[in-house]
Amino acid sequence: MTCERIEELLSAFLEGELGQAEKALVESHLAGCPDCTALLAVLSRTQQALADFPELDVSPGLKARLAAIPEQKKKFSFSFDFVLKPSLQPVFAAATIFMTLLSFYLFNPDKKNIDRAIDQKIHSGYSQVEKLYAKTGSFTDRLGDTADNVFVSVKNWKVFGGNEDPTYK
Amino acid sequence: MLVNTYSKRVFNLAYQFGGSYQEAEDLTQDIFLKLHGALGKYDFEKNFTAWLITMAKNHLIDTYRKTRWEKAHRDEFDEQFAAPEAAQGPESGLMQEADRKLVWEGLNRLAPETRMAVILRDIQDKRYEEVAEILDLPLGTVKSRINRGRLQLAKILKDRKEDAHDL
Repeated sequence: MTCERIEELLSAFLEGELGQAEKALVESHLAGCPDCTALLAVLSRTQQALADFPELDVSPGLKARLAAIPEQKKKFSFSFDFVLKPSLQPVFAAATIFMTLLSFYLFNPDKKNIDRAIDQKIHSGYSQVEKLYAKTGSFTDRLGDTADNVFVSVKNWKVFGGNEDPTYK
Repeated sequence: MLVNTYSKRVFNLAYQFGGSYQEAEDLTQDIFLKLHGALGKYDFEKNFTAWLITMAKNHLIDTYRKTRWEKAHRDEFDEQFAAPEAAQGPESGLMQEADRKLVWEGLNRLAPETRMAVILRDIQDKRYEEVAEILDLPLGTVKSRINRGRLQLAKILKDRKEDAHDL
């Protein structure tokens, strides 16, 4: 048996877990191999050292912190209770619809065409507003002219001491 | 009740695995927080201690992988461990203390899974079957892993002793 194979069996040998045949093989190897014998002795000391590590006590501070955990958990879960309030459900529903539409827009493979269509809509809307504004402007001017004419006509009536122009009759 | 029964076990496992007293306190707190969150998922047919220690083991190894504790030093041996009882005379006691110091420092050289297996078996004195259940590994794998860990520690001890002897 090689030293490598013996090394694999040393723990079981120390713990008395080997069968008779394997135990005899290890013993005969150890009798002629000082390296493996030395390793067995150190292995035994290692196990002893591990077994001798004392168990430490938990500090009172840590115990207090651990005992407070269930209370902390309660507080933590309470802070999220507002989420379940029925009054907030329309808000969540609206937010969900908005997020769904937004995700349809953001993750749509045809996003460029959507952007273009939105752009066109905005521009056509803007030009319509401009036209409307221009029309409103000209209407205001005409209304002003008409008002002036009416004022002049009324001013020229004889009743008000005006010099009525016969051509207007 | 959970704190009184299990805090010592979890704290000692965290301390033996990481080697830092302060870190072990923080990790114990994290593990108990996880425990309170996971109690609803506990299967009553299972062994509670094994379930808890498995959870602790997973948390310790995950944290180790994220933070790489091996770069940090373990606490000085003398800070936490009382002087050994000199039952076999003062000289033997000093030798045992030196062995414990070297093995304590050597634990950081072991891979996390190997270190955990050695701690559970040799420090916490669990049966191989219990270690296999906690680590969720076949019995044969656990035995060979523990043997490999012990041999690594023994070789560290042997090398350091030889170095000290050469000086």
